[in-house]
Amino acid sequence: MHIMEGFLPWQWAVFWWLIALPCLALGIYQLKRVLAFDREALPLLGICGGFVFILSSLKLPSVTGSCSHPTGTGLSAIFFGPWITSVIGVIVLMFQALFLAHGGLSTLGANTVSMGIVGPLAGWCIYRGLRDTKVSMFVTVFLACALADLFTYVVTSLELALAYPAQVGGVWSSFAVFMGIFAITQVPLAILESVILVLVFKYIVQLRPGILIRLKVFPETTITAARSDA
Amino acid sequence: MMLRKYRFEILAIITVLAFCVLFLYTSSVMRHAEFAGSDDVGSSQISKITGIPEENFHPLIWQWVPPSGEIESALFALQAAVGGIFVGWIFGYWKGLKAREGS
Repeated sequence: MHIMEGFLPWQWAVFWWLIALPCLALGIYQLKRVLAFDREALPLLGICGGFVFILSSLKLPSVTGSCSHPTGTGLSAIFFGPWITSVIGVIVLMFQALFLAHGGLSTLGANTVSMGIVGPLAGWCIYRGLRDTKVSMFVTVFLACALADLFTYVVTSLELALAYPAQVGGVWSSFAVFMGIFAITQVPLAILESVILVLVFKYIVQLRPGILIRLKVFPETTITAARSDA
Repeated sequence: MMLRKYRFEILAIITVLAFCVLFLYTSSVMRHAEFAGSDDVGSSQISKITGIPEENFHPLIWQWVPPSGEIESALFALQAAVGGIFVGWIFGYWKGLKAREGS
């Protein structure tokens, strides 16, 4: 999902930076607040960040004959919301831009919007929509993680389509082409990633349910019921 | 009972295996697949749409590029290792806390 350095016209690079910066500022503010609210939020944040580091370094082959990487941002979106997730996202993307030449500093804004903000926001929306319904907690986590991953690539496709509309058919025809490259490649990866993150979520529920209850991630009754079940 | 207790572990193993089988199938059917990064495929699509060769896209901000694939993979491994250390450390810490609370 990285847009390579130099592959966005400077106007678009600036535009995405302007969207990313206020979200990051809000994220840093919320981060300070949640860490002051509960000391156990820090290790939980570490787990989330750790998995973003691991998963986004794994470039996996897919059905389209090309490789892509999972994002791992779903868990953080569920626990802390999309704004704090954007801070984790920008740290990982910065590392990759500076040391790996995957994405660049001018495109960091656009890449943060896709992987750190809109993807996690999509995952967070489905989580909030399903949280208070009868849908199983684990199914909710699975869907949120999968959507956070997939939407990252949908947004990358949109960012590229807006900057490079096709001569025939314009933005939408270009969008369809980039979706074919990024989003379809991503489907099996999103499923794989989400199954792994559900497992991680289960371990967190077993080891430290208190922090999930205090952060009101899921209702206490749901978490207690899942613990006695597993 | 055991099956229910470990259902997510079993599901994860099945998914990983299915993913591997899918890859073996894809790579045997698509003999010409290069399995290049989708980032690079995206970049070459841009050059196709605009008609500008890829070499003509220049970084807007100067960028250090790993001199070889070896160095790049080392840095990627480092990234994963850092993540792994954090995850292992914190899960271990939590397990220790739980064991102490339990005794």
